[in-house]
Amino acid sequence: MKIPGRDLAEHVKQIKESGAFDVRSNALPTWCPGCGYFGIHQGLNECIRELGLPHHKVVVVSGIGCAGRYPFFTNTYGLHTVHGRTLPVATGVKMANPELAVFAVGGDGDGLAIGGGHLPHVARRNVNINYLLFDNSIYGLTKGQPSPSSPQGTKSKVSPYGTVDKPLNATLLALTYGASFVARLFAGDPSGITNALIEGIRHPGFSLFHIYTSCVTFDKVFKTWANLKRWVHPLPQDYDPTDLRQAFDRVLDDDFSIGIIYRRTEKA
Amino acid sequence: MPKVDVTVEVCGMAGDGTIAAGGLINEALSEGGFSVLGFDSYPAEIRGFGRCVTHSRIGNNEVVALGDVTHVLISLDDEQSRSRVPFLSENSIVIFDSSPAAYVREDSSIAGEVEPGTLLFGMPLSDLATAASGTERGRNLTALGGFTAICGIPSELFHRVIKRRFKAKGEKVLLANLNSFDAGVTYATQNFSERIRNIFIPPGQPHGHENVLLSGNQAIGKAALDAGLKLYFGYPITPATPIMEYLASRLPDRGGRVVQMEDEISSIGAVLGSFYAGVRAMTATSGPGFALMTELITHGVMAEIPAVIIDAQRGGPSTGLPTKTEQSDLHAAVFGGPGDSARIVIAPTNVSECYRYTVKSFQLAEKYQTPVIILTDFYLDNRVENFPIPQAVESEIENSNIFPRSSVKGSYNRYSVTESGISPRALPGMEGFIFAATGLEHTEKGTPDYSPEVHTMMSAKRHRKILGALADMPAPEEFSSGNIMDVGVIGWGSTFGSVLEAVNMARGRGMNVGALKITSIFPFHLDVIREFMNRCSHCLVPELNFEGQLANLIGHLHTKDVVRLNRVTGMPFPPSAILAKIEDLIQTGDE
Amino acid sequence: MAQEHCVIIGNGPAANQAALTLRENSPDMLITLVGQEPFPHYRPHLLPDYISGKLSENDLYVSPTEFYKRSGIKVRLGQQVVNIDFCSRELALSHKEIISFDGLIIACGGRQRIPERMQVFEDLMLTLKTPADAAVWIDRLTQVDSVLIVGGDLTSLSLTKALLSLKKRVFFMLNEDSFWPVPLGTEVAQQVRLRLMEKGVEVLESGRIRRVARISDVRLEVETDWETFKVGILGVFYGMVPDVKFLARSGLDIDRGILVDEHLRTRFDLVYAAGDCAQVYHPGIKDYWVSIGYENAISLGKVAALNLLGGMYAVETAPSSIFTVDGIVVNTSWWLEF
Repeated sequence: MKIPGRDLAEHVKQIKESGAFDVRSNALPTWCPGCGYFGIHQGLNECIRELGLPHHKVVVVSGIGCAGRYPFFTNTYGLHTVHGRTLPVATGVKMANPELAVFAVGGDGDGLAIGGGHLPHVARRNVNINYLLFDNSIYGLTKGQPSPSSPQGTKSKVSPYGTVDKPLNATLLALTYGASFVARLFAGDPSGITNALIEGIRHPGFSLFHIYTSCVTFDKVFKTWANLKRWVHPLPQDYDPTDLRQAFDRVLDDDFSIGIIYRRTEKA
Repeated sequence: MPKVDVTVEVCGMAGDGTIAAGGLINEALSEGGFSVLGFDSYPAEIRGFGRCVTHSRIGNNEVVALGDVTHVLISLDDEQSRSRVPFLSENSIVIFDSSPAAYVREDSSIAGEVEPGTLLFGMPLSDLATAASGTERGRNLTALGGFTAICGIPSELFHRVIKRRFKAKGEKVLLANLNSFDAGVTYATQNFSERIRNIFIPPGQPHGHENVLLSGNQAIGKAALDAGLKLYFGYPITPATPIMEYLASRLPDRGGRVVQMEDEISSIGAVLGSFYAGVRAMTATSGPGFALMTELITHGVMAEIPAVIIDAQRGGPSTGLPTKTEQSDLHAAVFGGPGDSARIVIAPTNVSECYRYTVKSFQLAEKYQTPVIILTDFYLDNRVENFPIPQAVESEIENSNIFPRSSVKGSYNRYSVTESGISPRALPGMEGFIFAATGLEHTEKGTPDYSPEVHTMMSAKRHRKILGALADMPAPEEFSSGNIMDVGVIGWGSTFGSVLEAVNMARGRGMNVGALKITSIFPFHLDVIREFMNRCSHCLVPELNFEGQLANLIGHLHTKDVVRLNRVTGMPFPPSAILAKIEDLIQTGDE
Repeated sequence: MAQEHCVIIGNGPAANQAALTLRENSPDMLITLVGQEPFPHYRPHLLPDYISGKLSENDLYVSPTEFYKRSGIKVRLGQQVVNIDFCSRELALSHKEIISFDGLIIACGGRQRIPERMQVFEDLMLTLKTPADAAVWIDRLTQVDSVLIVGGDLTSLSLTKALLSLKKRVFFMLNEDSFWPVPLGTEVAQQVRLRLMEKGVEVLESGRIRRVARISDVRLEVETDWETFKVGILGVFYGMVPDVKFLARSGLDIDRGILVDEHLRTRFDLVYAAGDCAQVYHPGIKDYWVSIGYENAISLGKVAALNLLGGMYAVETAPSSIFTVDGIVVNTSWWLEF
C-alpha cells in the first residue's frame, strides 16, 4: 500500500489529462481542490476498470452532501436521492436487479446522522451493496457544521463553545451492526481503496468502506491532511480479519489503522 | 322477486368467536347467491377485553353501504350486545344464550333491553354446544345454527363454508364444529317452529359466474400480484398491515419477496430504487407513515421515478385513531411535500375498484414516471364484499415504460422535454443510455441547474406530464337521469357507497337528485365535474373529514359554494345522514 | 335514592291495567311487565271474532309499543318467571336473568284446564287462549267443516257463535263442570242447551269422551259414551285455572290460585295478585272465589296497583249479580259480559 506524498489535486489533474480512466463523466467535479473525494473517486474508478464492470451495469446511489454529487462525475447509472436514504434506495435497486453492481456513497452526516437508522438494517439484511462512507467529520456542503464523527470540543458557527457530544465511530458501528465486510481506508491512498473495493465487490454481502478523508475548506484543525497522514497506518501483518473480537478491540481504540478490518463469508 | 335487504350483527366479547361467526355468515350467504357487504369492529387492545361486532348486510341487489338498522342480532355476550340494541329495527330478531354459566343481573342481560316488538329467541348455547361436541367453544356455531333455522336458510350453505374454513384444523375440530352448528339447527327447529321467519328468500338465479368474498386489503394484494409485483417493502401500520401479510405468503411463489423495512422512509426509498431499476414494487401505509414518505415522494416527482403507494387512511391527525375510518389524507396525498409536486392520486370506492385501480396504478406509475398514490380507508380496507373473481387482462398489466430509441444512444437526455411531458426512460443495464437521476432541478440531460429558464421549463414539463395522465385515468361516473337536478351529491372513497344509497332512496321518493362518483383525485376531470355541478341547484359533498378536503379541491369549479357535509365519527358515513341533508336542501332551498 | 321498581308478572288485562294505574299515580316508579307469551297485550275475548274474520289480527292488540315507551313501562315478552325469592326480593327468569323488585303484582292469568282424563288426547285437541291458537283454528277451519266442542265455558260459547257465522257444523257436548269454578246448575245447563239448539248447534248428550283417533289430516274419529262419529276439529273448553305452578315453593299461599285478601294482598309485603290467577277472599261468604273474566281482571288490576301504592281499596263484592249469558240469567257477579 502506498501513501502518496504529493499534493492530491495535482495527482488527479494528471490523471484526468491522461485520459486513462474513462469511467469519469465529462462533468467537472464540484469538489474543492484538495478534497479527499478526488482520491476516493480515483480509487473507485480504478476498481471498476480493473474488474471490467460494464458501466451500464453499475449504479451509484448517493445522498445529500458533497458526496452526493458523486453520480454526476461517473459515467455509470446514478441515482442522487434525498439526505440519509441512500442505503434503502440502493437496497431497492439491488433487490430489483441483482445483476447490477450497486454502490452507495455518502458522507458522515448522511450515514451517521439522518441516515443512521438505516445502517443497522442494511447490515442485518446483508444486501449485496457496497457502501462508501466518506468520513471527514464535518458537514461541508452546508458550510462547516460538526458531524456525528466530530470530536468533542469541535468549534464552529453553530457550536462556538465547542461540541459536547461524543463522536460516533463508523467502523465500530458497522461491526456492532453485524456487517459482514468492513474496511477502513484513507482517501489519500486511492490504490488501497481500489484493492479493498475489489475484495468488497467480490464479497457476497453488504460491504462497508469507512474512508477517512479531509475537508480542506472547513476543517483546519482535526482531519487535516497533515494529521491524517500522521495518524493513518496499515494494520499489522498478522492481523486476522476474520476474528471479530480482535476487530472490536482494534476499532475501540480508534487507532486510525486502515485495511480490511473484518470479513465474514456467508450466504447473502 | 321480493326484495331482500337484511342486516345481521353478531356481538360478543373478544374470545367468543364473534368474528369467525360473522365471517361464516358472509361466506354462507355469498354462496347462497346474495350480495354481501360485511364490516367488523374489533377492540383496539390485543388481548382479552373489548367488544367485537360483526355487521353483515345482505341483499339480492348490490349492497353499497352498511345497514342503518339491524334486523337480526346474535348475542354471544349480552353485556356487550346491549350496546347494539338501539340499532335494532322494529320487529327485529335477537338470538341470545338462555342458559348462561351464571345468573346475570338485569343490567347485564339483553332480554330486558329490547323493545317489545323484537322477537327474542333464547337458546341454551353453551349447553347445546357442550352436549354436541364436548366443549362450549363451538357455541358461536350453535348460535349460527339457530340463526339458520329461524331465518329459513338452507343448512348446507353453512355446512359447506364450515367445512372449508375448518378443514385445515383437522377432522376432530371440523366434526365438533359441525355438530355444534347442527345442535343449534335442531334446537331451533324443534322449539321455534311457529316462529320461523323466512327473511332470506333464495335469489331466483344462481350467479352465472363464480363469486369471491374479498376485503379491500385482499383485493389490493391480489391486484398487485396479478400486476406482476415483485417486491413489497413495508412497515407494519394499522390498517395497511394485512396487505403485507397477504403478499408475504404469496410473493415467493411468483419469484418475489416481501421485505419488512425499518420504517416507512426506507420502504418508499426501496420502492423507488426498485422502480428505478425497472421492477414493479409497492408499499402500503397509513397517515403517519405516509407523512414520513413525503420527502421521497416529492423526490420521485422531481427525479421522475415511478412508485406505487397505498395510503390506507385512518383517523388523524398524527397517531390519531388507528382503528377508526376517515378520509382526511387527501390534502397530504395531493399536495403533501415541498414544492410544486403534482402526482397521481386515485381513490377507489369499493372493493372491486380497489382491485382494478391497484392494477392500473402500476401502468400509470411506469408510463408517467411518477409516484401513484391509492387512497383507501379503514372501512374499505377491512370490509368484505362479494363480486365476480377479478382477473386483470394482459393489456392492463403489461409493462408500460416508454423506453428511449436506440437512435439516441450516446446522446441520451433522460429528462428531454416533450409535448406530452413524458421523457423516455432508460433502465440501468441498458447500454448507451447512462444517466443520473436527481432530486435537484436539472437540465434535460439531468445535470443540476438552478437557472430560471430551466426551472420554469422543467416545472411546466412535469405538470404537463401529470395532467396528461387524465386520459388514462378513470372518469367520474354519474348516477342520475342526466338532466338538471335539485341536488347533486359528489362522493369519493368509501363514502360514495353511502352517497349512492342515499341518492337512490331519494330518487325512489321522487326527488330530483343525482350522484357523481369521483375516483381520480389528482389530476381530476375539471370539465366533467364542472359540467355536472352546473346542472345542480345545490352541490353536496359529504366526506369523512372535518375540513372538506375534496370540497377544497374541486369546490372552485362551481359557481356558488358547495354544501359541505362533514363527519369525523370514525365510522362509515350513514346514508340516512346524507338523505336528511338532501331533503333539507330541497325543502329549504338553501344551506 | 334509587327508584322503586315494581314488577308485574303477566301481560293480560289485569297486568296492563295495573301497570297503567301505577304509572298514572306514580310518574317516577320503574315498572316492568313480564309476559310469558311472545304476543303484545291482546284482548282474549275477541279471539273468536278474529277467527270468524270479523276482526283483523291488529284489532286484537291493545296498545302499540310507543305507548309503553312513552309511559316508561318496560315490557318483556316471551320471558318466563321461574322462581321468586321473597326474602331477597328477586325473581329469576328462565334464561337465568335476575330482576330485583320493590313491589310485585302477580297477574299471570290462567291456562286452559284440561281434565286429567282428557290429557291423553291433548295432541289431537285444540284450545283457544292466544293469537297463536287462533291462527291454528283459522288455518284448520279452511280444511274442515265440522267442529266438536266439549266443555262449555264462556270462550266456547262465543267461539260457537263464530263457528256458526262461518257456516260450520257445530256439535256441542256440555259438561256440568265446564263453567268451573261455578257449578252449572241443572236448570242453567238446560237453558244453555236450549239456547244452543235454537242457534243451530247439535247438542250432544253429556258424557265422556272415551277415545279420539286421527283418521286423516282433516278428520278425527271421536267415541263418546253414546256414539262414535267423525268430525274435523275437536275443541276443548273446560275453563281456566290459575297458572301458578311456578310459585309452588315460593312461600305464597296457593290453593287453586294465589290466595289474597279482599285488598288483593298476599302474605308478603308489597306483593299482590290480581286477575284470573288470584283467589280472592270474599268476606260475605267467608271463602275464596276465583275471579275470572275481562272486566273483573281490569278492576282487580286497578285495585292491586292502588293498594301497592298505599291504598286500602277492597275488591268490589257487591254483586252485579244478575248476569245474562245469552238470554240466560246466571246468579254470580264474576262473569264476563257475554
